[in-house]
Amino acid sequence: MPLAKPVLSVRDLTVAFGGTGKPVPVVRGISFDVFANEVFCIVGESGSGKSVTSLAVSGLLPETADVSGSIVIGDTEIVGASAAVLRHVRSQDLGFIFQDPATTLNPVLRVGRQIVEGEVTHGRLRPSEAQVRAAELLREVDIADPVSRAQQYPHQFSGGMRQRAVIAMAMAGKPRLIIADEPTTALDVTVQAQVLSLLQRRQAETAAAVILITHDLGVVAEIAHRVAVMYAGRIVETGTVDEIFSSPRHPYTRALLRSIPRGDAVHARLDAIPGQPPTPETLPAGCPFHPRCVIGKERGECRTTEPLLRPIGADQQAACHFAEEKLLPAEARRTDFSGPAGEKAGDSLLEVDALKVHFPVRAGILKRVVGWVRAVDGVSLTVRVGETVSLVGESGCGKTTTARTIMGLVPATGGDVRFEGRSLLKLSSSRMREARRQMQYVFQDPYAALNPVLPVEEVVAEPLRLHGLYETAGGAARIAELFEMVGLSRRMFGRYPSEFSGGQRQRIGIARALALNPRLLILDEPVSALDVSIQAQVLNLLQDLQKELKLAYLFISHNLSVVQHMSDRVAVMYLGRIVEQAARDEIYRTPTHPYTQSLLSAAPVPDPTLGRTRRRIILEGEIPNPAAPPAGCTFHPRCFRSDEHCRRVAPSVVSYPGASIYVACHHPSDPMIPSIVREQSMEAGE
Amino acid sequence: MIGYVLRRLLHLIPVLLLGSAAVWAIIYAVPGDPVSVLVGENATAEQIAAATAKYGLDRPALVQYADWLWRALHGDLGTSIHASEPVLKLILERLPATFQLAFLATIVALVLGIPVAIASALKPGSWVDRILSLWNALTLGVPTFWLGILLILWFSVEMRWLPSASTYIPLWEDPVAALRSLILPAVTLGVYVSGVLARFLRASLVNEMRSDYVRTARSKGLWEWQVVGVHILRNALLPFVTIVGLMMANFIGGAVVTEAVFTYPGLGRLLIQAISTRDYPLIQGCIIVIMVIYILINLSVDVFYAYIDPRIEYK
Amino acid sequence: MKLTFGKLSAFGRALLRHKGAAAALAFLSVVALVAAFADFMPFDPFRQRLVDALKGPSQAHWFGTDELGRDIFARVVYGARTSLTTAAGAVAIAAAVGVPMGLVSGFFGGWRDAALMRFVDVMMTLPAILFAMALIAILGRSQIAAIVAVGITGIPSFARITRAQTLTLRSRDFVVAVEAFGGSARYNMFRTILPNSWSPILVQVVVLCSVAILLEAALAFLGVGVAPPTPSWGEMLRSGKSYLHEAPYYAVLPGLILTLTILSFDALGRAMADLLGERYEIRKSGSEGAA
Repeated sequence: MPLAKPVLSVRDLTVAFGGTGKPVPVVRGISFDVFANEVFCIVGESGSGKSVTSLAVSGLLPETADVSGSIVIGDTEIVGASAAVLRHVRSQDLGFIFQDPATTLNPVLRVGRQIVEGEVTHGRLRPSEAQVRAAELLREVDIADPVSRAQQYPHQFSGGMRQRAVIAMAMAGKPRLIIADEPTTALDVTVQAQVLSLLQRRQAETAAAVILITHDLGVVAEIAHRVAVMYAGRIVETGTVDEIFSSPRHPYTRALLRSIPRGDAVHARLDAIPGQPPTPETLPAGCPFHPRCVIGKERGECRTTEPLLRPIGADQQAACHFAEEKLLPAEARRTDFSGPAGEKAGDSLLEVDALKVHFPVRAGILKRVVGWVRAVDGVSLTVRVGETVSLVGESGCGKTTTARTIMGLVPATGGDVRFEGRSLLKLSSSRMREARRQMQYVFQDPYAALNPVLPVEEVVAEPLRLHGLYETAGGAARIAELFEMVGLSRRMFGRYPSEFSGGQRQRIGIARALALNPRLLILDEPVSALDVSIQAQVLNLLQDLQKELKLAYLFISHNLSVVQHMSDRVAVMYLGRIVEQAARDEIYRTPTHPYTQSLLSAAPVPDPTLGRTRRRIILEGEIPNPAAPPAGCTFHPRCFRSDEHCRRVAPSVVSYPGASIYVACHHPSDPMIPSIVREQSMEAGE
Repeated sequence: MIGYVLRRLLHLIPVLLLGSAAVWAIIYAVPGDPVSVLVGENATAEQIAAATAKYGLDRPALVQYADWLWRALHGDLGTSIHASEPVLKLILERLPATFQLAFLATIVALVLGIPVAIASALKPGSWVDRILSLWNALTLGVPTFWLGILLILWFSVEMRWLPSASTYIPLWEDPVAALRSLILPAVTLGVYVSGVLARFLRASLVNEMRSDYVRTARSKGLWEWQVVGVHILRNALLPFVTIVGLMMANFIGGAVVTEAVFTYPGLGRLLIQAISTRDYPLIQGCIIVIMVIYILINLSVDVFYAYIDPRIEYK
Repeated sequence: MKLTFGKLSAFGRALLRHKGAAAALAFLSVVALVAAFADFMPFDPFRQRLVDALKGPSQAHWFGTDELGRDIFARVVYGARTSLTTAAGAVAIAAAVGVPMGLVSGFFGGWRDAALMRFVDVMMTLPAILFAMALIAILGRSQIAAIVAVGITGIPSFARITRAQTLTLRSRDFVVAVEAFGGSARYNMFRTILPNSWSPILVQVVVLCSVAILLEAALAFLGVGVAPPTPSWGEMLRSGKSYLHEAPYYAVLPGLILTLTILSFDALGRAMADLLGERYEIRKSGSEGAA
């Protein structure tokens, strides 16, 4: 393959954003080639320059960007090209898939028209044939009823369908190069699996070159042929996907791979990368990774000289002075860690019993109630002292509503929530206030969860002040103690939330939740807004705190590997109901509900070898509208095992003797046979 | 669609009821006896007794309001104290003049405003944008009555090109004379509103230009005129329709000041006369008519908007 | 930029560095100072000398004299007092009523919100100037009437801005967090949401100052503002308009000062909106008609 002429050739590309002051380099001299019929992944954390690289390749950067170096697509130089040349290249050679399908399409133009607009403009398609061609392109991306769909507007499409339409649009001109910038980040895991396999299929069919930008190592392992890892505006390592995952040579790549939770090492503590990724304004001298690096931290060469990318193996290159140095195997560095909870969990702390939360759907002038959204429809679970119970599911399954209802932020429609045996739903508001001291909430988005006009020590002190306990608890000394607990310094007092990074803000949010000495923390996607390396830091902190303070966690997440790492028990939610609940190892080893099985098989694993051998279940369709759920078992339209019975009768919960599994399914797999993918009927998808 | 219009009409009922009650209450809110307000302060005892009987002022307030509303619904807005003529007739005489001025001013505003907004939005921060934003600030900040005076000083007093006082001549009868008479007030009113329109349209254009779908359009290799003309403008003009509608609605009653500057015989001048002569039935009539026109224009704008924006479904 | 007390001085410095805002502030300070200390200045806005009537600008009378021989400059200075006090009073009324209204209706929603929105709808059906005129027709002509009338027309804009702000903040996690810790609704409204809403409210205060000055002048121009002989810029334009042929400066010069004052508030408002990252409220609460 390297002998062929590359479709895209990038040499010494630098991009700086000037503005008024001194130009800030965001991409600092990168070179790579992409060949026909391959998927080239650029992976990196936020601020690594990966998205800017992709925009530079297509000439879509704003005019304030200062681009130098060379980008050649086919035979055309992009850097400094005229508008006419750029337009020609984009129409002829390039297709672009963007991150957020909700905003990529023009809301007031019909989808079909947008798909073939470029073709018509460049005279490759007669306007009279546009309709037919648009429908054909939509059919190629598996959209049902493409003829009428082409006549619809983007808001009539679901998220996954929009992204398919965008793929159809990018492929319309049969381009030689497709750039996909985080194409599945905004999608749910089962829809992500659909879109990724579609992208893979279309890429193979057209033999196009694909550049895929992502932060998700699982996606990389799943789809890439070759990989470039970016850090601080440079490519620090590049190689084939197997080399990168099996023998990473750059300390950053190694650290990154070790910081993600993996199923095979659930009892080990995560190897977090210390510190923060540098911003383009604050690049350290020498190797930009050295302050966070295990081998370069103390070495003079790393501090003074920035290493260049150099060949290490046949196809592998790394930018490290000590890339040949053999490190101790990753496992050996892991301190022994007993995993979640440690000793067996104690008495039950929180009991949720058949909880229901229904929201009215109102319509008409008189605002009559015309229907109900059953956001939570009979959820039961128990959290015992010192243990972690996870609620996992895709967007809209009701996991956050469940959490907020437990917290008393959303009124319950039915059922009961008991804390230490006392029902919370019938409490007076002052009693509720008291009860809430025992139970605190950590929010998903660290940027939205802290009051921006309060200095951080006041943010942490606010719960104490609200309960009139500030002085009793020890005032500023207590706040300093809380800061220390979450790994922050009291020197940070007086600063405002905007001055902190995402990870630090999440620590502040945790400190605030701990202020009242609670026994239970409800953690609502606490790490999903954070970069992988920061994620590991926060997860480690949460586990340390749990051990130290004997905390119980109700952990809400969509990320299956994070859940596996953190939990004692796991409950899987779909459309407001728990479909399966079991001890962590049981559910991951022997899932019985078809939804759990597909969820587990849809999640990309950061291991290309395993990814190739395992068989995947790719669900059809998307999550239905919770205001009009399907009859019978709500999962039946997407289920590969559903039959007539499932269409009519909702399953009740059954349990297995000898296992901790509770499952709501008419046709569960037998948990005693440990294999995810063994049934004949599971061939749907691939 | 018809259902949507009907629903919007039903939504108006509380607004109209509240508004009309407020207008009706004007007479009661005035310090002193409502009878003396209606017949004048120097009325004789018989006149007062006659008026009390005639207007039914001895009945409970709610009954009086219902009665007033009933008559108003049948086109009876009472009789002007000053002119001794039906209020509705006085108002209807003035409406064509008001509509004509509003129409011309709208054209002036659109002709000045839209190109300014597009030119400055295409290159935010450029010198064109700066000059245009200065112009915008001027059009918004200069009071129309001062601008009107300056225009009269230059075009009428100094150059003697145009009349300083405007009269109503229907456009279809003598277009040249009508334009000569109307051009100054229309420009005065239009220039001010062009600033409002340009600022709004520029803001929404700049906003749309940052949208992802614009990047998508560019990534398809479209011509820049397609990106701006088809993709951006379509989105930006949608909310703009509402603003243009609001502006027209405001011209109906809101041209009071301009009409005063040019002594133009529109609805606004009628209202000022009514206020200065304390002609309360006429005040009530003018205000309720202006309200109703405003509401109707607004309704049409909303219906039109729902029609042109595919995202709104009339469910 | 989020306006906090800690950042107030930084915000002040940024405003002074902004050329437009600095010029506007300088002009407004001069107008305000002159208006405040008018009594100590060597001229009298009420002294009539018919022999001096309608004389052009001179050393003795910088802006000339009016039809009664009064010094126009002196009347402009005292007019500034009328204008600024009316605007200040009106904005105070509008903010004091509108902000809590917006907070409550945005926070609780439901019938409170429906009631507020209907009220705003009704207010919107009349251009501000007509509304003010109708109120003055009831209250009679006086400065208090002008303040109340202009103030009431400004309520909807504050209510709407605060309501919109409250609605966006209401569902933000840091507001929900306070609720989760056991903070009351009142605490959340006044201690969490309001401090996060200063930026748009402050911008609106400045915007409404320019609207109020314009509205007051327009009312006086129509003969329903502050009653004569109290000097008012609008009233001077009204009288000056009758002498366009004989004394063009009579209407032009007071109008110029009025315009510069309005433009200054406008420039200040926009500079603040820029610096605070707020959207400048273009619609100015239906003041189009006030023109």
